[in-house]
Amino acid sequence: MLNLESSNLSLEKTLRELFTTEKSVSIDRIVSDFDNTLFHISTPDPAEKTKIVLSIFLKCYNDLVKYGDVDSYLRNAYNDSQWYTVLDQPEDGYNFSIFIDLQQISTTVLASPEEMESLIAKLSLLKRNALAAPFDVAFKRYDVLAQEAAVKNVDLYVPEENSEEATSVINYREDETIYIRPSHDRVTVIFTALFKDETDKIFGNVFLQEFVDARKRSIQNAPQVLFSPYEPPLELRGLPEFQNFNYGQQSATSKYDKGFVTFVLFPRHLVPQKRENTITQIQLFRTYFHYHIKASKAYLHSRMRKRVLEYLKILNRAKPDQEEKDIERKTASGRRFVQRI
Amino acid sequence: MASTNPAVIMGDGTGLTKLGFAGNDAPSFVFPTAIASRSTTSGKSSAQPVFGGNAGSTTSANNNLASKRGMEDLDFYIGDEALKAANGPNYSLSYPIKHGQIENWDHMERFWENSIFKYLRCEPEDHYFLMTEPPLNPPENRENVAEIMFESFNCAGLYIAVQAVLALAASWTSSKVQDRSLTGTVIDSGDGVTHVIPVAEGYVIGSAIKNIPIAGRDITMFIQQMLRERGELDSSLRTAEKIKQEFSYVCPDIVKEFRKFDNDSEKFAQFIVENESKTSKKIIDVGYERFLAPEIFFSPEIANSDFLTPLPVIVDQVIQQSPIDVRKGLYKNIVLSGGSTMFKDFGRRLQRDIRDIVKERITDSEKLSHAKSSGVDVNVISHRRQRNAVWFGGSLLAQTSEFKAYCHTKADYDEYGPNIVRNFSLFSVP
Repeated sequence: MLNLESSNLSLEKTLRELFTTEKSVSIDRIVSDFDNTLFHISTPDPAEKTKIVLSIFLKCYNDLVKYGDVDSYLRNAYNDSQWYTVLDQPEDGYNFSIFIDLQQISTTVLASPEEMESLIAKLSLLKRNALAAPFDVAFKRYDVLAQEAAVKNVDLYVPEENSEEATSVINYREDETIYIRPSHDRVTVIFTALFKDETDKIFGNVFLQEFVDARKRSIQNAPQVLFSPYEPPLELRGLPEFQNFNYGQQSATSKYDKGFVTFVLFPRHLVPQKRENTITQIQLFRTYFHYHIKASKAYLHSRMRKRVLEYLKILNRAKPDQEEKDIERKTASGRRFVQRI
Repeated sequence: MASTNPAVIMGDGTGLTKLGFAGNDAPSFVFPTAIASRSTTSGKSSAQPVFGGNAGSTTSANNNLASKRGMEDLDFYIGDEALKAANGPNYSLSYPIKHGQIENWDHMERFWENSIFKYLRCEPEDHYFLMTEPPLNPPENRENVAEIMFESFNCAGLYIAVQAVLALAASWTSSKVQDRSLTGTVIDSGDGVTHVIPVAEGYVIGSAIKNIPIAGRDITMFIQQMLRERGELDSSLRTAEKIKQEFSYVCPDIVKEFRKFDNDSEKFAQFIVENESKTSKKIIDVGYERFLAPEIFFSPEIANSDFLTPLPVIVDQVIQQSPIDVRKGLYKNIVLSGGSTMFKDFGRRLQRDIRDIVKERITDSEKLSHAKSSGVDVNVISHRRQRNAVWFGGSLLAQTSEFKAYCHTKADYDEYGPNIVRNFSLFSVP
């Protein structure tokens, strides 16, 4: 498994079970996803077992509302089907709820498996779609800026002047943030890289260096990746949280003890037909990154186990075959004696 | 907000792995504990070594470090996908757990890696984990588990619980249980083997554990054999298994049941086998095997001649081998767990048989000692969660607010090292 899927497998499976079983049972199940995301599938009214509510909780929902207007974005994304409706008032403790009537689904959708599958796929992408909102806003802003630049006939390679362009700050995890910053010729996405574990930090730095170098070597189409292990990149220096940052010297305060990974998305990544894919890929970056750190540790462990086994074999060879004890020996003259070890 | 993340329950068994989140009433995933990994190293990794597989970048990756080193360690499948992949070329299947204990740590580590990231989709740093282990698991194995969980995955916290204890906790949902104690006898019957495990105050009495080589698979084979002898149209293992699940029940008395069947043809059932395209139908008669199949627990001589002690006798022996001061508690709380204990009236029959054995012994001892016994209470508890009892017990315990206090955290592990997991404090009974 090299890539992580953006849809939630567990949610997919639960929905499929619900859609295909004839006997309706009341359900109350939680499903988790990366980055402190929680789904809740339940039958709110035990008397009506076919009425299902699917809710999502995202830690960064407030940020998404602020920078992506996620509510209307999701409503827009999920108003295309007759099989479910978005609830005006989300379930208590959750951010966004979708109501599904199983009775309707089982009578009609079951007839065509393709339709059911597409329905399930769509619902299981709920988290991806929620997180896509601020990217969508930033990409649209890029469209506007690019047009303005074209009108004003700005040279593409001149650094933009209006550094006042708003940066979206999505605190998607505790102490970890995605910054999205549109400009007229690119969209910059910056992840903070924070490691709780010292070993992970070392792995992480190697990996990130590899990301930076990969483009130089062969994959010219990839977005440019920059890694700054300590200092926030130029794009972020205007933000209030980095106002008092001491540039050029390693600070002792742990507050700034994180790296910054910058992805520069160029117009070729932002063409309409690639846009959705770009969003899907980039929002999984942190998870992908940490997954591979863990996978390489697992790989190292397996190598270590193999090596230990080899050494043990050698050690076992060095053992004397059997304890020589009290063996009677004879000298040349015929005298017998017992050698004690 | 890390506290909102539910704990992860991972129950890895010899046959099946059960994965899910605390607070749910059933595991999210149940699949075979199998891993299919690439068997040949010569095969070029077909996976694209590029992040996200961005469009357009799929052509030239030959200069990349990733392709130089090979990606074989990431090229594997687990669970149902593993079974599917193993049918094709290049993959070989292996079961990392043998007899309840982990044998191949490399495979297990990768199995967990995939379970966590692909199936459960959780960042292990954010979640607490509850893992299960068989009774009499050597402490070294626990340490290995902790090493993997903390060092590879950096999981936030870990609790390793004994399966039998979790099965006891799961029985608290039954209305028959008045006091939530962790003393009782667990009868755990899965596919391969049946264990009878006495547990006193949350500790397994290892010396008294007994295994019975009769379990789900034997019942299925017994049904298959009966179908063959009668010359039914379809006697595949799958059909036999379906019949076992849908029609079998435990009767109080075989002789009477035979008579009932002979007098009343209604008792016979029919099972219809359809082929995949639903074009042809085969009708299979289901007869005496309805009650004879589960009967092999109680009269093993009808199935094979190698093992002849009935289950109630084994349970009685196990309790008699346990320390005398807990025996009453063990008789009072006999808990069923595992799929092969799901037969209708299984618990009732077991309770009656054990009660008879106990009563006989009491009358004997009364006769010899001329003293009146205060009697021994025998209770077999069956409940609705029996099939995934171990997992459910874990889910029940891990959703309590105290759970995290019982776990060892990553910080503890870094401070004390792997031997910290040799001891876990037991859940106090709420």
